[in-house]
Amino acid sequence: MPKPLRVTYSAFIMAMRHWIADPQWVIPNVIAPFVFTFVALTLFKNASESFAVNAVLGGGMMGMWGNTLYGSGFAINFERWQGTLEEVLAAPSNLMHVIAGRSIANALFGLINMVAILLIATLVFQVPLGIANPLLFSLAMVLTLLSVSALGLIFASSFVLTRSAQVMTNGLEFPIYIVSGSMVPIYFLPFWSHPISYVLGPTWGTDAIRWAGEFQNVPLTFWTNIVVMMLITLGYLVVAAFLFKKVGDKVRRDGSLMEA
Amino acid sequence: MTQPNRLRVFFSSAVFSFRAQFSWLNPPMWLTMKLILPFSQMAFFCLLGGYLVSKGFASSDIVAYMAIGNAIQAMSWNTVFAVINITSADKWDGTLQLMLASPAQRLPLFVGRSMIHIFDGLLSVLVSFIFAAFLFGVDFVRTDLLGLTVTLLLTGFTMAGFGLLVGGFSFYFRDPLVFANIFTFVQLIFCGINFPVQSLPQQVQFISYLIPLTYGVQAGREVIVGATLTDIAPLLAQMTVVGLVAIALGYFFFRRFENSARKTGRLEAI
Amino acid sequence: MSGKSGQSSKREESRTDKAIVADHLCKIFYTTKGVVRRTKKPVVAVKDISFTVDYGELFGIVGPNGAGKTTTIKMLTTMLIPTSGAATVLGYDVEKNVRKVRESIGIVLGGERGLYTRVNALQNLRYFADLYGVPTDVREKRVKKLLHFVGLWDRRNDRVETYSRGMRQRLHLARGLINDPKVIFLDEPTIGLDPEIAIETREMIKGLVKEGKTILLTTHYMYEADELCRRVAVIRKGEIVALDTPSALKKYVRDTSVVEIDAFGVTEKCVETLKKVPEVLAVTANLSEDKQVVKIQTPKGSEIISDLQEVLKECRINDIKIKEPTLEDAYLRLVEGKVK
Repeated sequence: MPKPLRVTYSAFIMAMRHWIADPQWVIPNVIAPFVFTFVALTLFKNASESFAVNAVLGGGMMGMWGNTLYGSGFAINFERWQGTLEEVLAAPSNLMHVIAGRSIANALFGLINMVAILLIATLVFQVPLGIANPLLFSLAMVLTLLSVSALGLIFASSFVLTRSAQVMTNGLEFPIYIVSGSMVPIYFLPFWSHPISYVLGPTWGTDAIRWAGEFQNVPLTFWTNIVVMMLITLGYLVVAAFLFKKVGDKVRRDGSLMEA
Repeated sequence: MTQPNRLRVFFSSAVFSFRAQFSWLNPPMWLTMKLILPFSQMAFFCLLGGYLVSKGFASSDIVAYMAIGNAIQAMSWNTVFAVINITSADKWDGTLQLMLASPAQRLPLFVGRSMIHIFDGLLSVLVSFIFAAFLFGVDFVRTDLLGLTVTLLLTGFTMAGFGLLVGGFSFYFRDPLVFANIFTFVQLIFCGINFPVQSLPQQVQFISYLIPLTYGVQAGREVIVGATLTDIAPLLAQMTVVGLVAIALGYFFFRRFENSARKTGRLEAI
Repeated sequence: MSGKSGQSSKREESRTDKAIVADHLCKIFYTTKGVVRRTKKPVVAVKDISFTVDYGELFGIVGPNGAGKTTTIKMLTTMLIPTSGAATVLGYDVEKNVRKVRESIGIVLGGERGLYTRVNALQNLRYFADLYGVPTDVREKRVKKLLHFVGLWDRRNDRVETYSRGMRQRLHLARGLINDPKVIFLDEPTIGLDPEIAIETREMIKGLVKEGKTILLTTHYMYEADELCRRVAVIRKGEIVALDTPSALKKYVRDTSVVEIDAFGVTEKCVETLKKVPEVLAVTANLSEDKQVVKIQTPKGSEIISDLQEVLKECRINDIKIKEPTLEDAYLRLVEGKVK
């Protein structure tokens, strides 16, 4: 029985290999958040420093979000176009573990994206980005990354069903940017969207990241954010596992994969 | 091989499948492209604008400013599709047809083929205007309809022409669609969508004036608050010139590519 | 619809004596028509298929396109759930024991797909080795052995996109063997390959049987089935119309001869008319632009030639031969349905 971690790791390496083979495709994913950050910074020109910092962090978050969502969703379609989807499904390993590997690879690009935005903001736009607690900052980032990947897994499962899912996931990108409070704080958003915000793990992660960015001695809120986020992430994994099984069964029953 | 071509077309975070060109055939896709995307982009920036206003960093008319900008920018996807039309190997026959036609016929041919995408773009703009009016406080009462229609049509056309330039130029790269994609985002910086061109550093402002959309957005804003066709005529004229230059340049790149393809016998510049 | 509960466990126990057991397999797909008001239309891909395969046997399934070969293989390899019926591979139920089945079998679906083209052969095989849980200490040795086996060791570091079709097929085969399976399913393994490569592939398949592997192969090349398989099942429209050794199948047509006419100017209409000639059992025509060859199966022998010439009087006949029927002819008879 193939160990899940080994499968995930192998899929991760395969995703990295493909990125190395075609690196230019990362560009659109990197450009978008960068552009949004630039726009935000230009708009915040008159604002105080802390707003600029938040804008940059927000842009970075969006970079992470975008890449991961795109990547997870795309993972299945990638197999489809390579013509390997059937072979991968026929293998004894769980499809979810394979996709998780890809998800994490894309989340990693997201992380790199975020770092790039932070660097450019500091060097080119001279936004002073002092990180008060680098260790906890990094911890929060990594955990948020995993949370986003897990959410991406849920989307990925829908892709086995239909190609149209790709477009719909793309359609979700902006709404998630909004609702996760990356650029605009949640309290400013319409009240009816608040529940959605709080159900998204990364919303809590973004908050934790900000705390670690601002305070050397993080308040308790930082830790509550982390815990809530991890719980939500676990929830995502459970839902994803369930969905992958259901989708897998459906595909085997009605042969819908054959349309690929 | 069809697989690598499909790979090209599909691979992109912000665009979408080849089928999106025919999004009206597919309800979820149509819904996403025509409603959700334009709306959410507009909402994102307008919320940002509103937030800035609440903190006193911007005047209150910024939201409407952004709404109009994003609405007209919704048309930019037709540029991308124009690029797809030109560079997709599947469409090679159609494009070749364009090239082999007599010089006098070529412009109308090009316009004809872009028509569907221009009208598709117009539809997006229309839907975005509805959002702008009801959700983001844009007042269309004083709009000069004739002026607006002409502006939008001309913008669509010139942007399709710009697409030809982007397409022709990007033939020399392995994946033209990357270019088209990047370009749509770059518009957000240079075309006065969310902030005026003047907010940009002096040295780069000239770039904005090389893109037809900049003029279209500006003209659109003026026309919505009551300027007439005559008032915006200079802007439209400038836009037309830029558009035609873009078409000419695009055509030039394209001819070069066609010649090299004839010599090497390959359909791909790479 | 055979019961799947009480009876089946007993059946499973007694069926580990066979490598593959297909028991009244049936698969119906539903296609939806219309955009607004969607109606479901059933398509019967496999109506009723039952057979068994012994350990170490090379078993063939032949049939025309759309007969249900690929669907059958997919059911046996757990890629499709049967609408009704059951199947076991190495004693494991394909529906209930999916993981065990997948771990023990190799699947080579043929064609150019199934490989990651932007990476090389080594990386492809290592990846699938991981997906199949090949023990890490064994992995490198096996990858090496397989690449040697399929003759790709020298090209192991080249990206698959640089491979010819034949090479990809070979790598595909290597991938199908990555978990050292006891049972291997090959779906049209030599389709589209150059003759020399097809011959090599068949030799490789024979080599696998010598190692004691059980192989189920689908093909529509009769000579291939004749050469390789111990037994052959002929499938038509989702059902088995004959199942026997190749020599026994040839006996179906023992009483017939094959009249082969090499002509020019033969049309589809001619072919249809030929079919109606009395004592004509089957007609196949290979109608290409420059050459048309028509084969007629008949018990009559040379006496029928004048009737055939009458039908083809508008055409220019170059040559007429009378031949012994081959497995291909038997297959055509069975598939065109003039037997039974």
